[in-house]
Amino acid sequence: MSEFLSARAVSKTYRLGRVDVPVLREASISLRKGEWVAILGASGSGKSTLLHLLGGLDRPDRESRSAIVYEDRALSDMSARELDRYRAHNVGFIFQFYHLLPELNVIENVLVASMVARGRLGYRLRRRALRERASDLLGAMGLSHRLSHRPAELSGGERQRVAIARALMNEPDVLLADEPTGNLDHKTGQSILDGIAQLRRQRDQTILMVTHDPAVAARAGRVVHLRDGRVVEGRDERSRGAAGE
Amino acid sequence: MRHPPDERRGTTVPTVYQALLTRRYLTRRIMPLLSALAVALSTAMVLTTWSVMGGFLQVLLDSGRTFVGDVKIYWPSRGFPDYEDLLARLRADEDHVAAATPVIETFGFVSYPNDRVDGMLVYGIEPESYDAVTGYFGTLHWGPEGSPAPKDSNRADLRLAPLSALANALLHIGDMSPAALARALRMTWDDVLANGKSLSRLDYETGERRPAATLGIEASGLNIRQPGWYDVLPPQRTRPDGGVETIDQFLPLNGKITLNVLPIDEKGRAVETISRILPIANEFRTGNYEFDKRMLVVPLSLLQQMLHMDEAERRVSPGESPFEIEVDPETGEERFVRPEVELEPARVTTVLVRAARGVSAQTLRDRCEAIYREFADAHLDRAPPRPQIATWEELHKDFIGAVKKEIALVLVLFSFISVTAVFLVLAIFWSIVNEKTKDIGILRSLGAGRRGILWLWLRYGLCIGVIGSIVGGALSFLIVRNINPIHEWLGSALGITIWDPRVYYFSEIPNKVEPGAAAMVLLGGIVAATVGALIPALRAARLDPVRALRFE
Repeated sequence: MSEFLSARAVSKTYRLGRVDVPVLREASISLRKGEWVAILGASGSGKSTLLHLLGGLDRPDRESRSAIVYEDRALSDMSARELDRYRAHNVGFIFQFYHLLPELNVIENVLVASMVARGRLGYRLRRRALRERASDLLGAMGLSHRLSHRPAELSGGERQRVAIARALMNEPDVLLADEPTGNLDHKTGQSILDGIAQLRRQRDQTILMVTHDPAVAARAGRVVHLRDGRVVEGRDERSRGAAGE
Repeated sequence: MRHPPDERRGTTVPTVYQALLTRRYLTRRIMPLLSALAVALSTAMVLTTWSVMGGFLQVLLDSGRTFVGDVKIYWPSRGFPDYEDLLARLRADEDHVAAATPVIETFGFVSYPNDRVDGMLVYGIEPESYDAVTGYFGTLHWGPEGSPAPKDSNRADLRLAPLSALANALLHIGDMSPAALARALRMTWDDVLANGKSLSRLDYETGERRPAATLGIEASGLNIRQPGWYDVLPPQRTRPDGGVETIDQFLPLNGKITLNVLPIDEKGRAVETISRILPIANEFRTGNYEFDKRMLVVPLSLLQQMLHMDEAERRVSPGESPFEIEVDPETGEERFVRPEVELEPARVTTVLVRAARGVSAQTLRDRCEAIYREFADAHLDRAPPRPQIATWEELHKDFIGAVKKEIALVLVLFSFISVTAVFLVLAIFWSIVNEKTKDIGILRSLGAGRRGILWLWLRYGLCIGVIGSIVGGALSFLIVRNINPIHEWLGSALGITIWDPRVYYFSEIPNKVEPGAAAMVLLGGIVAATVGALIPALRAARLDPVRALRFE
């Protein structure tokens, strides 16, 4: 399988007051279709930043060698609108703190992804089908009975499942999960990881997961270690990752 | 990259999520309600001010026309003769002139039954033609009244009961002969109204009709205003012994006043003081406090007599001496030389003209000038060459201009105050954007573009502007429609009197909402809210999505 999303020697420096703080230092990583890759690193190692760069939420420092490439096209060559479309259609984010919109109920939180991705007409024409898809996704997450509830009325695990359904709503090529179990207890975290593993198996979904927990990272097919903004070591367990566990 | 063609537009054109989130943000937050309230209050404030001030100006103009007509031809003091010819010429121009009437305007002193003396503007009129020009009959207050005013739940308005009831209480056999009393007791409200229209009243003693006057309803001070009607205070006079004497009078039934005027000669000198006791036929209520307080109307012929402006003989060639002797050619006897005389026609100071339907006052004035030139050419020796010919607005242009400037000034000041609404919306939106920073990050992570985020917040501001403006417009409409009851309530409950008719000319606060002004103010409210939302919206659109997601 050829790589279809990669970060090549990307650096990212944040400016805190008058001080430049390098977060990523020529970090490189590549994903192949259907892979489940975990980026393992301590807090502050730059793993979330790398995830954001790969998801087009942020841009790396301008260096000649650095590039984020998706299907042979550098994200840096994309206009802002193209980058918006990339986020809307090609990647799906799952965050540690779920990041649901508190004013919307469960099904609206899932549907909002397709509302953002489609024009008014595009959404209106497919509203029924999209609603069915959102219901199906939430049903698969065991949330059929929670469709009209608001995020505040859900448990942490339920919120994260809504976030996963939202991330999958537009059928993205890559799921980018930032500490998806970081805010959950062990049992709930395991159930979320089970769900992700199931996705991997059933949809051949490409998944890039960021975590600081080696046990969580161990669920992935391949683990990449990040330390002080650099990829320092990697464990390729492609066969296990491809099997989903 | 994979995205269907129709979906590529998703992040560049307005999408459904803005509408959904706007709806949710509006209904589930207190802050937007505060913003809408700020817009509503500002809108209501400006619109109410504009409506009252604009209504004030409109009522001012309308009330001016009520008693003056559209155009006034005016030559003060001695007036001008041959006015019947001028009236005929004016009335012949039916395309421009609906009606014309002769008037004498002068100044006089009126003595009331309670011995109070007031300087008054005295109008001598021909009732029928004056009504055709000014709508005078419609202003007569005392007459039959079928239903009580809205607030007169006790039916206390005198006009709702037969006049005979009042007459029975006021009139005594000791003051009048039995025949006079019988005549007075037969009076009805219809008779009082007819008296006002004919400017005459029955002399109860002789049974003959006598010229009478109508007074402005506020003039005598013997009427007290109730909501919607006037009650009557019996006049009281101080006796020489220091006591107080109550006079059993109701002006339109048995009241009299004394009118004193000063006829003047051709050089403007007062010749003498002419006094007449006049019965009061009725009282008028124009709604213009100045007219209602300071004006008295009497028959034109009466005032012409009193001012020596009626028809009279004038000596043309008096001779060198009044004692010049000549010989009568028929008898051969000596006699005083007889002076050659001619008939001096009656005079008026004013001709009032009402425009035909669809003719503007300015057009009518131009026609009146042309007609007057023809009239002056025909009466070269007697017609004033250049009388004042002006519309009512032109006559009072300084005052009206001042009112207009005052309105503009007040509106500008209030608009400045309303600009604070923009800053209020800005501050509230800034706070909302701050609060919803994470939402912005989430939406950006889902693929929302900067334009989409900008439109989300602008749309939000627009909605707040629309809601605030509609609520403010409705609030203003309610205030303006009920401004007089509100004012009465303020007066009775809190002792606050904002609108003093002695200052503002009108007995009631004008209450008229101009649709054009309302549209402008409502649109202003919407624009203000949108402008107030613009800076926070730009800030939201420029937010770095990663920082927004990490925002705590």
